[in-house]
Parts: sequence; C-alpha cells; structure tokens
Amino acid sequence: MTATISVSNLSKHYKVPEREGGMKAAVASLFNRKYRTVKAVDDVSFSIEPGEVVGFLGPNGAGKTTTLKVLSGLLHPTSGSVTVLGFEPYKRPHAYLRQVALVMGNRNQLSWDLPAIDSFELQRAIYGIPVSEFKKTRDDFIDLLELKDLVNKPIRNLSLGERMKMEIVGALLHRPKVLFLDEPTIGLDVTMQRRIRTFIKEYNQRWGVTVLLTSHYMADVEALCKRVIVIHHGRTLFDGELSSLVTQFSSFKTLGVTLPNPEVDLSQYGEVLTRDGARVTLRVSKARTSQVTANLLSDLQVDDLTVEDTPIDDVIDSVFTSNEETK
Amino acid sequence: MRRYIDFYLASMKISILEQIQYSVANYFYMIGMVTEPVIYLVVWTTIAKQQGGMAGGYTAGAFAAYYIIWTLVRNMNIVFTPYGWEWRIREGRLSMELMRPIHPIHGDVAFFAGWKFVVILLWLPIAAILSWIFKPTFEISWMEVIVFFLAIWGAYLIRTMLLSLLGMITFWTTRVSAIFELYFGLELILSGRLVPMTLMPAWVQNLSNFLPFKWTFFFPIEALVGNMTNAQLWSGIGMQVLWIAFGILILNFIWNFAIKQYSAVGG
Amino acid sequence: MNPIKLALTYLRIGVLNEMQYRINFFIQLLQSFISVATGLIGLSLVFGQVTTLAGWSRSELLAVMGVHLLMGGVIRSLIQPNMERLMDDVRNGTLDFALTKPADAQTLVSVREFRFWQLVDVIVGIVIISLAFYELKGTLGFLQLLGFLAALIMGGVMLYCVWLMVTSISFWVIRVQEISNLFEGLYAAGRWPVGIYPDWLRTGLTFLVPVAFAVTVPAEALTNRLSGTSLLFALGMTVLFVFLARGLWLLGLSNYSGASS
Repeated sequence: MTATISVSNLSKHYKVPEREGGMKAAVASLFNRKYRTVKAVDDVSFSIEPGEVVGFLGPNGAGKTTTLKVLSGLLHPTSGSVTVLGFEPYKRPHAYLRQVALVMGNRNQLSWDLPAIDSFELQRAIYGIPVSEFKKTRDDFIDLLELKDLVNKPIRNLSLGERMKMEIVGALLHRPKVLFLDEPTIGLDVTMQRRIRTFIKEYNQRWGVTVLLTSHYMADVEALCKRVIVIHHGRTLFDGELSSLVTQFSSFKTLGVTLPNPEVDLSQYGEVLTRDGARVTLRVSKARTSQVTANLLSDLQVDDLTVEDTPIDDVIDSVFTSNEETK
Repeated sequence: MRRYIDFYLASMKISILEQIQYSVANYFYMIGMVTEPVIYLVVWTTIAKQQGGMAGGYTAGAFAAYYIIWTLVRNMNIVFTPYGWEWRIREGRLSMELMRPIHPIHGDVAFFAGWKFVVILLWLPIAAILSWIFKPTFEISWMEVIVFFLAIWGAYLIRTMLLSLLGMITFWTTRVSAIFELYFGLELILSGRLVPMTLMPAWVQNLSNFLPFKWTFFFPIEALVGNMTNAQLWSGIGMQVLWIAFGILILNFIWNFAIKQYSAVGG
Repeated sequence: MNPIKLALTYLRIGVLNEMQYRINFFIQLLQSFISVATGLIGLSLVFGQVTTLAGWSRSELLAVMGVHLLMGGVIRSLIQPNMERLMDDVRNGTLDFALTKPADAQTLVSVREFRFWQLVDVIVGIVIISLAFYELKGTLGFLQLLGFLAALIMGGVMLYCVWLMVTSISFWVIRVQEISNLFEGLYAAGRWPVGIYPDWLRTGLTFLVPVAFAVTVPAEALTNRLSGTSLLFALGMTVLFVFLARGLWLLGLSNYSGASS
C-alpha cells in the first residue's frame, strides 16, 4: 500500500522585506529593498498511510500551518517533494481538490445570512456531487452532529460552536479522502470541542479518511491521534506514537504524597512542585522513581502515594524549551 | 459544461436569497446612487433649455432618457471591486476559495449576476419615479430592447474583467488605492458616465474607441435611447464580445503569475 | 472636562496617529487632484456649450467647486469619522465606554476621531477658491470675508447636526450605514449652485440636507450675491438645527440606556 501523503525534504522559505523605521528608510526601501529569508519549514520529511490520524504539534510560528498549506496546494514548496493521493498539490488540479478539504477554525465559508441548508446546496454544485449521494451524506452528518433544528436558521443566529459544526459539515459534503484540520476547535467550549472530536473520529473510522490535524488543545490530539509529528523552528523534532513521545522526552515522573504531618520537608527526595495542605507533589527522575518510592514509604508515615507520567502538555512544553536552550 | 451551469444557478440563487434579505439596504444604496445622474441631468437640462432646447444634439427629454437608463447601467456595472480583492487576500478568504475545484472568478461573476436580478427588480420603481419627474423621450424598437438586454450583461462582464485585473495588483502590493482612484477617474470621463460620449471633444471620442470603457456604459445606454441602425447595434455587441474574449485572455495570463506569487508568499 | 480642551486633546492624538502613515498624505493629494481634474473637465464641458450656467460664470462656478471641496474635507476629516464610529459603537454595544466618561456625551462622541490627511482637501479647496478669485479679478473686502467665514461655519455646524440626527436614528434602527451613503450622494449635489435644481430638490437640499447653506451660501458670499437677510436666515436655521440635533440625540440616548440596562 502506498502512502497517502508523502513529504520528503520539504522546505518553504519566505523572503520578507526588512524595514527600518522612519521616513528615509521607507523611501529608500522603495528602490532598494533588503530581504531576509525566513525558513518557515526547513527540510521536513514524513509519510502518512491511508486512514491515519496524525497530530501536528508545535508552538505558534513553528511551521504547522505552512506545512498544511503546502499539502493543500496553497503554497508552492521552495524545495523538496510533496505528493498527496498521487498528486502534486501545488498544481491544484481539480481532481485533487475534489478529494481533499482544508478546515480552518477561524475561517468561515458558509453564507452568514442564510440557513446552512442553502449554503450546502452551493457546496454540492461546486463539487458536482450527485444529488442522491449529496442528500444522504448531508442527512448523515446532520444526524451525527445533531443539527436537525439548526440547519434552517441563518448562520448568524447560531453560536460559535454550532457554526463550526456547520462549517465542518459544509467542508466534508464532498467526502474528501484527505482532511486537513487547522485548529478546528479553537475558541470553542469544552463540550463543543468534544462533540467535534467525536465526529472527526467517526468520520475517520467510517470512511477510512486520512486526517492531519493541528491543535493547541492537547485533548484534541490525545483523543484523536495515535501518532504525532512535533515541529519547531521549521524542523521535525519528533515523529512517532504519542505514548513514546512521553517516554522519550520526559525523564521525570510526578509523585503525589499525602502525609498526616504536613510539616515534613521532602526536598531531599525530589523537587517539590506543589504543596497543598497535606498533599505534596514531587518531580523525580524516572530512573530513581522506584528507589524514591521505597524510601518514602519506609522513612515516613504515608497516607497515600501516586506515581504519574508528566502531563502531555508539560512534556510538549519541555520539548520546546529544551530545544530552545540547545539552539 | 453542465457542472458550470449548475454552479452558476446555485450561486445566483444564494446571492438572490441573500440580497432579498437586504432589500431595504439595497434600496438606500440605490437611492444614494441616483443623486449622481440627477445632478448631471439637471445641469445638462439647464444648458439645453438655455440654448433653446438642445445641447450637443440632445433635447432635455433625451438627456432624461440617457440618465435614467444610466441608473440601471450603473448598477449593472457594480462588480467585485479591487478593494474587495485586497480584502479577500488580506483576510485569507482567497485561500478558501482556491481550495474549491472552480475558479474564484466564476464565483464572483455568478454571485454578482444573481444580485443583478434583485437590482433590476428594485430599479423598476426608481425608473418609474424618475420618468415621472423628468419626462424622458424614448423611441424604442424591439431590436433596441433585445440588444440593450444583451449589452447590459456584456457591460457587466467587461467591467468584471477590468476590475478583476485591477484587483489582482493587490497580489503584489497593498498600497494601491491611488491606482484604483486614478482608474475610476479615467473611467468616469471615457465611459460616458459623466456625459454622453458625443458631447466630448472629438479626440476624446476617438481615444475612447480604442478603449473598453465606453462599451460598459455609453454603448448599452445609447443602444436603447439613441438612434442606432441595426448594423451599429449588432457590431456594438460584437465589440463587447471581442473585449470579453480579450479580457479572458489577459485575465488568464495575469492570473497564472498572480497565483504563482500568491503560492510563493502565502495568504 | 472642558469641551474645548477635550476636543484639542483628541485632535492632538489624531494628528500623532496619522503622522505615522505619511504615505496617506500623497494618496490623499492624488485623490484631491483626481477630483479637481474631473471637476475641471466637467466645467469645461459645460462651458464648451454656454457662457453662464443659471447666471453663474465659469470662474464663479470654480469658486463653488472650491468651497465644495473645502467643506467636503471638513466633513471627511472631522464629522463623518466620528459619526461612523458612533454608529459602530451603537451596533456593537461599545458606546458604554464613552458614556461612562466624565464629559458631555455628545461632545465626546463628536471629537473622538480625526482624519488629519483629509484636510488636504481643505487646502486644495482654498487654492481653487483663490484661483477663482484671481480669474474674477475680484477683491475680497473685509465684510465679504467675514460673511464667507460666518456662512462657512454655520454651514459646517448644520451639516454636523444633520449627521448627528441621522446617526441618532441608529439608536432605533440598527442598519444606517446606507444612510451615510445617501448623504454622500446628496452632498455631491453641492458641486453646483442649488439654484439650478428643480424646486423639490432645492427644498430638500436646503432644509433636509443643508447643502445649500454649506456650499452655495458661502460661495454666494464670495461672489457678492449674499444679502444680509439670507445670512440671518442661515443663523436662524443653524440654531434650529442645533436644537433639533441635541433633542434627537438625547432622546436616542435615553432609548439606548433604557434598552441596554
């Protein structure tokens, strides 16, 4: 089986004009512009198999959106090769566009003043979806997302989350085989995020669709993606299972200890993170975890003890900061 | 082909539904627009009366006819503006439009074409009131009506091409309002929007023959209110078709560069 | 807070803000140039046919054009931006920020915005007026100048009042953006002396949207057509407009606070 998405040695560099302040510089820049090269994506390679859901992680400006835009054909790669479904995206052949969808959390396509049902009709015409297939897909989606009472209301009267659901329905009516999601849950409340997540999962499983997703919410990634690609400063830092990201990048565990006597000083056992009454959390290196646990239990009277992996958010955080330091 | 017809119909339906919701707003807009030709009309009627009934071959009634039809043609001339292009690039809307398997300009043409149907409907009462006030004189043949109906759509397409070309400048630079305003100034003079072209000095008229502007304004109006022979009427339509074809060619050519630029720097 | 001090403070902020975008000065200059050029072409077309239009000579109409440009600059730099911001504030419910400030609300909403570069039109207008004067070989007497300035100020005040009244309507009817469009269209009628328009339109341009007082009357002052009585009439109208505008504004405001609390 060939990969759905394959990216090798992809780079995308921008030339941005350098501007100094002041009128003189502004006038001078009209004639003799100085440029600076920004490496938004720098030598990135990966490949994604059909039906995979892959999370794309990285801080703002890491190159996530740029990569998504290259994959969806909006940006021309500076170097390297990209194929999706056997197409070169930047040529944007209609046969390609008909099989993919790009959903951006902060952009809307549906008409603001009309009920979504009317806008869906336009999507049908744009993608040339056969009427019977269109109706079936549409009604399926409406059921799945529980939108029955809302499709006949003008979009402007819907809440942010309801609007996003409609947007997703509109973007998926042509049943794309590859789905690019850029921050699909941004700004939504927790329940709504969960609904959208479930839907994406369902859509992926039912039709074997390949999904590439960026999100600030780790919950999105944890719920949807087995595999993650972490990029930073345009380079790949990690590509693999979400669980091994934690083992690879986190050399610490968190111990939670509840003591009857809160006065005891625990700093000899590990770095004290928090102290909340009788409850103390400690950061302990992975290698020493069992040793420290045994010591604690033998040295002190302990009411309760827990051992946890570092939360994924903190792992990601530490990946980026440690990378920053070595740079 | 069938797919395009389907797309056009669906798009036009959407825009008609949208614009009907805004008919009050549309009306205010159209009434605001009416003041411009009324001003021209009053000035030229005054001149015609001062000169004993005629100015540059137009009677007061002929001026009235010209400027009343002007109001419809002006509305047909409303298309996606260069400022709209600037906005769609800045807001990233173009990216979404580029993801569809259909050219964004098809979307523009279809959307505004749908709007036109609402506009024509709203225009009828305005035309009736203006006619009641200014008493235009018309001598209209069936052939003129047919050609006029075609010509306003030709005008719409030509102006769409012109303003899309202008709008595409925003792919390269954003400080373009000065260029746009200069264009609008030229168009005002050379299209027949300010005065019927026949009132212009001979050299301006000659110049306008080589430019697309008068086919968007003067020709459609004159087709209905003037006295053109059938041959003149149809050769006018022929000229519009030529300009449209030429426009499509240029548009495609520039579009390729524009999209290259866009995909190099990103939206 | 002293309203004049308040206005000056905002004026200063506006200037400082706009100074950052100096390129706009050139854009504005070009735009003024285009509108002057099309205006001159229009005039030359008219005077290719006749020597006077409704009793006004070419040079006198040039003066009208100058006044129109000047007043247009004042509207676009001082009046319109404030009123449009007010409409936005009412629609978005952000007017509360202005209402909670310790100053007269009407004054505050009328001085918050200032488009400095639009004043280019004022300068260009003055240049055109001077040119017209030069062509007329007229001399500007002191009384005449005084009459002109008085007419100009009263005209400006009246236009401000009309804008404020229209904007106050936005307290009841939300979509008024198109009304400002309509206003711009009507203001364009001031390019020519209102005397040439048919009665119904002239009445509208005098009492509804006082373009007559804002452009034609000052131009009449410049071209020795103005009588003391019409100046007095203008004064009466100004007072009337000020009271009407204030009344409507207060009514709208009480409606607004009633609805939002």
